[in-house]
Amino acid sequence: MLMTGNMAAAWGARLGRADYIPAYPITPQTEIIETIAKWVRLGEMDAKLVQMESEHSMLTAAGAASLAGARVFTATSSQGLLYALEMLYNISGWRAPMMLINVARALAAPITLEPDHNDVLAARDTGFLQFHAETCQEVLDLILLAYRVAEDSSVLLPAIVNLDGFYLSFTREKVTLPSEQDVSTFLPDYNPPNPFRANMPVSKGATVLNGALYSYFKYHMHTSSIRALSVFEEAALQFERIFGRSYSPVEPYMMDDAEFVIVISNSFSTIAKQAVRRLRERGFPAGLLKLRMLRPFPSSLVARYLSARRGVAVFDQNISLGSGGIIYPEVVASLYHRRNRPQLLLPVIGGLGGKQITVEEMEKIFEAIKNEIGAESPDPIFLMRQEELETTKNMVRTAKEVQI
Amino acid sequence: MPLITNYFLALTLDFYILTQPLIVIPDKFLMILMIVRVRFHGRGGQGAKTASRILGTASFVEGMNVQDSPVYGAERRGAPVTAFTRISDSEILERGYVFDPDLLIVMDATLLASPVAKVTDGIRKKGAIFLNAQSANIIGEHYTLPSDVRIASYDLTSSAMEMLGKPIISSASAAAAARLVGLVKESSLEQAIVTELEEIGLSEEMIKKNVMLGRKIFSSLEPLELATEESEKKLRIVPLEMITSNDGLEDIIAVGNSKVAKTGSWRIFKPVVDYEKCTACTVCYAYCPESALILRQDGKPEIDYDNCKGCLICYRECPPKAINIEREVIAF
Ligand code: SF4
Ligand code: SF4
Repeated sequence: MLMTGNMAAAWGARLGRADYIPAYPITPQTEIIETIAKWVRLGEMDAKLVQMESEHSMLTAAGAASLAGARVFTATSSQGLLYALEMLYNISGWRAPMMLINVARALAAPITLEPDHNDVLAARDTGFLQFHAETCQEVLDLILLAYRVAEDSSVLLPAIVNLDGFYLSFTREKVTLPSEQDVSTFLPDYNPPNPFRANMPVSKGATVLNGALYSYFKYHMHTSSIRALSVFEEAALQFERIFGRSYSPVEPYMMDDAEFVIVISNSFSTIAKQAVRRLRERGFPAGLLKLRMLRPFPSSLVARYLSARRGVAVFDQNISLGSGGIIYPEVVASLYHRRNRPQLLLPVIGGLGGKQITVEEMEKIFEAIKNEIGAESPDPIFLMRQEELETTKNMVRTAKEVQI
Repeated sequence: MPLITNYFLALTLDFYILTQPLIVIPDKFLMILMIVRVRFHGRGGQGAKTASRILGTASFVEGMNVQDSPVYGAERRGAPVTAFTRISDSEILERGYVFDPDLLIVMDATLLASPVAKVTDGIRKKGAIFLNAQSANIIGEHYTLPSDVRIASYDLTSSAMEMLGKPIISSASAAAAARLVGLVKESSLEQAIVTELEEIGLSEEMIKKNVMLGRKIFSSLEPLELATEESEKKLRIVPLEMITSNDGLEDIIAVGNSKVAKTGSWRIFKPVVDYEKCTACTVCYAYCPESALILRQDGKPEIDYDNCKGCLICYRECPPKAINIEREVIAF
């Protein structure tokens, strides 16, 4: 079927048999909830959908319902995610394995609708597992995989699946829908530990008022998150056996003999892959490593794939103002203790607010990696095409100088 | 780690991308990669997004790989909308904005003047432009069109007015694109029109009319057998200077930006005041969302056609029906 990323996310909820969906609207995720609402109304999906009064309430309800044993699904974007952020820390602390879809949209101000990853990466320390999708098919598949990992009794953490606004949310492409039967084999019903029951009182997320206890539980969450990596790998093997599509926490593309590599995530990976393919046609040994799992961060896999390459660029579609890209230091940390680490780790920032990236820009990054090898400390690249800067300057001028 | 400072890397080496011919003729045997990129330019309300989806679905029905998507800002009638359909016989390693279309579908020729829409930017050598217009020659007199491309035209809006009673040209534009690309059978187009219009909840009768409209356009055009080539591109990534002045603030200081952006070019219909009938009640003045009605000394309105975007609220609200409407761009 041809479907948008939003539609694929809705199918993830439906095939994953989500039974409680608290909702609050925000562009560009709205189509997900609209679709589910339609299915629920038509009786095609057996779930309870509740419109809440804010994202904060939405997440509170989501976490609580998950503790009661429901399979919970919800979605938000951008400011909505940030408004709910406080609850994200609570939900992971409650060990409630619910699903949150984030349709990436850059944060205000300035206000825009198009994506970058500052919204979803603001949730990187919350304890939510994070999976980032490149295609509409991946959106659906990662939801099924993420439920499976999150609900695993050795993990029990909530999960975020991220898809880019516009580039996936409103883009239709071919998606193969798995059968309900296959999905229930892969993803059995959720079996919650100590769910809220009228006949069996239980307290969750209790106050500890004690640093040692607090540390113990935090450390426990941390190790559970780390464990999610191998649980994912195991689940992915079964996923491949049943559905024929294979997923690993990172995806290597033309990496076999690659000397120059770009590390990237989400929908712009497609454009970078095209650049790799075009460069290969010209005999340039380019390769790509896509980060599919951001939390836990797959450090050892990143190190394994990047060791012994000549130069690596890390493409951050986000910016930690006053520092730089958010993923870059994580890649650096993964490689620091490797004896044969690449000679160059080039930080690149691009695509903020959905700034369009051409395949030529991606090619230019590879050219820059090659040119910068040997540089003392390589200057970060902040992608901006000449014509884009000119248009921008014109607009700024219009906003400031025009008088009637 | 290095800080983002004003020392952004300046890659000043211009580099030229290798020219690779791209074959789009469907029945060639030695076809390594066939991909057609169609870019639709329309205005909010004309149906550009639906057009891209109808073309997408029709091509998908034909067994092609398809990707379609729209871009639009805050949704409003009249604003430029762009939508894309990529059609391929193999994996589509592209995403987002189509910078280098093989075929451009210009649903509103006045967009050719828009500095925002940048309609003809990036079109591939030997690509094609379809104009929703009676005569491409007249358009050519008003706007500069790129050389080395083929031009086709048909007055979709008049056909839509006649057959649907509305200037909505989603099916018509999709039909034109499908025919010109030449990969889609008429039956697949019809199936796609039905699927997509059902999806957006149109009545059965309206869908039928759209199918008829699609058929009419499809049979009025001929396939183009496009064989486009990549245009030479010059790419420069520029360093950002450290911003020291107010330029870095988002503030809009200047008043009257709409004097620069002439929203009057959005109109499909224009309101015309019948001063005989007008009672100077000023209802239109109160309702116009654009302040495009200015009251004269005698209290009757004068329409600022540079900025009236043709929403026709004044026409609907005028108590004695003293505002008439006229079809715009009829000359094209
Ligand atoms: S059509 Fe009428 S109401 Fe609408 S912008 Fe023009 S003058 Fe104003
Ligand atoms: S609403 Fe009609 S009658 Fe009243 S001022 Fe406007 S044009 Fe004249």
